[in-house]
Amino acid sequence: MFKRLAVCAAAAMMLCSCGSSEKHQGSVFAMDTYMSLTAYGSSAEEGIKKASEKLNELDKLWSATESGSEIFAVNSSEGKPVSVSDETASLISFAKEMSSQTGGAFDITVYPIVEAWGFTTGEHSVPSEERLNELLEVVGSDKITVSGSEITLPTGSKLDLGAVAKGRAGDICADLMKECGVTSAVLDLGGNIRTLGTKPDGSKWKIGLRDPFSEGIYATLDVGETNIVTSGAYERFFEQDGKTYHHIIDPNTGRPAESGIASATVIGSDGRLCDALSTSLFVLGAKGAEQLYRSRHDFDYILVTDSGEVIMSEGVSGLITFEPGFGEKVSVVK
Amino acid sequence: MIRSQKFWVAVALLVIIGSAVWSYLTLRFWDSGSTVNIISDGKVLYTIDLSKEPDREITVEYEGRKNIITIKSGRIRVTYADCPDHYCISQGWGEEGSLLPIICLPNRLVIEPADSQLDGVAR
Amino acid sequence: MNTKKLTYMSLLTAMALIIFVIELQIPPLFPIPGAKLGLANIVTVFAVYTLRPAESAMILTARILLGTLIAGSPISLIMSLSGGFLCLAGMLLLCRVIDKQHIWVCSVLGAVLHNLGQTAAAMLVMGTASVLVYLPFLMLTGCAAGLFTGLCAQYSVRALGGRFK
Repeated sequence: MFKRLAVCAAAAMMLCSCGSSEKHQGSVFAMDTYMSLTAYGSSAEEGIKKASEKLNELDKLWSATESGSEIFAVNSSEGKPVSVSDETASLISFAKEMSSQTGGAFDITVYPIVEAWGFTTGEHSVPSEERLNELLEVVGSDKITVSGSEITLPTGSKLDLGAVAKGRAGDICADLMKECGVTSAVLDLGGNIRTLGTKPDGSKWKIGLRDPFSEGIYATLDVGETNIVTSGAYERFFEQDGKTYHHIIDPNTGRPAESGIASATVIGSDGRLCDALSTSLFVLGAKGAEQLYRSRHDFDYILVTDSGEVIMSEGVSGLITFEPGFGEKVSVVK
Repeated sequence: MIRSQKFWVAVALLVIIGSAVWSYLTLRFWDSGSTVNIISDGKVLYTIDLSKEPDREITVEYEGRKNIITIKSGRIRVTYADCPDHYCISQGWGEEGSLLPIICLPNRLVIEPADSQLDGVAR
Repeated sequence: MNTKKLTYMSLLTAMALIIFVIELQIPPLFPIPGAKLGLANIVTVFAVYTLRPAESAMILTARILLGTLIAGSPISLIMSLSGGFLCLAGMLLLCRVIDKQHIWVCSVLGAVLHNLGQTAAAMLVMGTASVLVYLPFLMLTGCAAGLFTGLCAQYSVRALGGRFK
């Protein structure tokens, strides 16, 4: 009798200890956004601490506005070569490469135009046609020269790593956490999601995709270790004379991209690629996205058009669950 | 067949203790999140995030019989039911973290925590 | 089955129904869907220990069907049938190994089987597994109720039982 009771008690204790892959959370304000880090297990606290420190460090390195940053130094170099860290140099060359691969739909030198629209300060205004044409002269990744770890940028041109920094930071933090022994974590870097491993119980992460037309989500993705980055017009925008202007500028026109896309999500193993592509696909539109996807096949994507249609690549169809009301008009790109 | 009466008494005691421990563990480790599904006749009619939903009333009908569900400051309960037993009303408020399923058997209504707890939202 | 037996069984069924109706007046003790004292089970347990298996089944069937006519719905009928008959089947087996001094044991185990049958039926009818959450609480209250009804039946059997076996 007492033996039985003991066995029963032991079973109960095991049940209790099952719940001990404890959840730890931390948050950082960096790269102009709120970042929340969630990790599970005994190394979680240390991992979060190291990742938070790293995020602050990267923020200081890549900020376009803080005077101590490497990017600030490049932007105010007046054409003289600036020596930067290897990490920064390789991120800039990556961005330059992405610019040529996307036919200029992605460009980190578009910063002066973003400034002119007031998206950096919040003092929004529609720039005049002349001003835009003037600024388009200094835009273009061909203006950037990278040799080793030296960056040269002509006067007037300015860089902003905003469209790749968070993606790269996610991968760096994930690697740091792995070194600490973390096997299960979700990093939400201002809406860029970087997952590490699986949930503590081995199941997949459930990541929602923001509905571009309302506050909620339009679908969830069940994923293992990956990056999920979404770009949408809803993130930052302003209205003037009854017209809405959003913050994703087409580097070829200097105006907010009008490609019929409301939100673009890219999923893949390379964070900076996902980050860069989510912006690129938003600018390129459905056709351009399809072409780019067929030429590379090293990422997956989901587009929501202005009319609510969903276009997604083959690899997504097994991961996605639509919320009620969505997923009626879906096409799959192979 | 075991004819020892002591054995069967022990089995009964074990079942009683077992269900007590199980009940305790359920209460102790129950964690419901803030999203609920409202299910009528086996179909999910609404999925609601209580932490974001404005205060409102939802009427659900099944074969002409009604339940009125009230959502108020992040909590949810059944406030009216034209079923005989009114168990669903006596179950009271449910809120994030501790919401057990609210069930109205005669009207085949279930308000249950949705397991779609998200780990993050890409935006 | 002679007239005397038939009358006796009818009497038991009528008693079960009366107890059932009286219990309807008692407000729910716990806010757990499906949890109740189940006082009418006193008669079922009594029948299991004093009558033949088929006769117990007839009394239970009559009580459930008539009870549903008085206060019930198609859904409550499904719950009562699935719980009631799993409980009856279990007790009919257990009464062969559990003697009349331990009827409460048989009744407690029967009550738990009732809860299992009920919950399984509820999962099917409601189309969701979330009703399982209530199973431990149902079992706990079921054990208490089963203990009570079992002891009632045990003393009844001691006082009147054995006459018709």
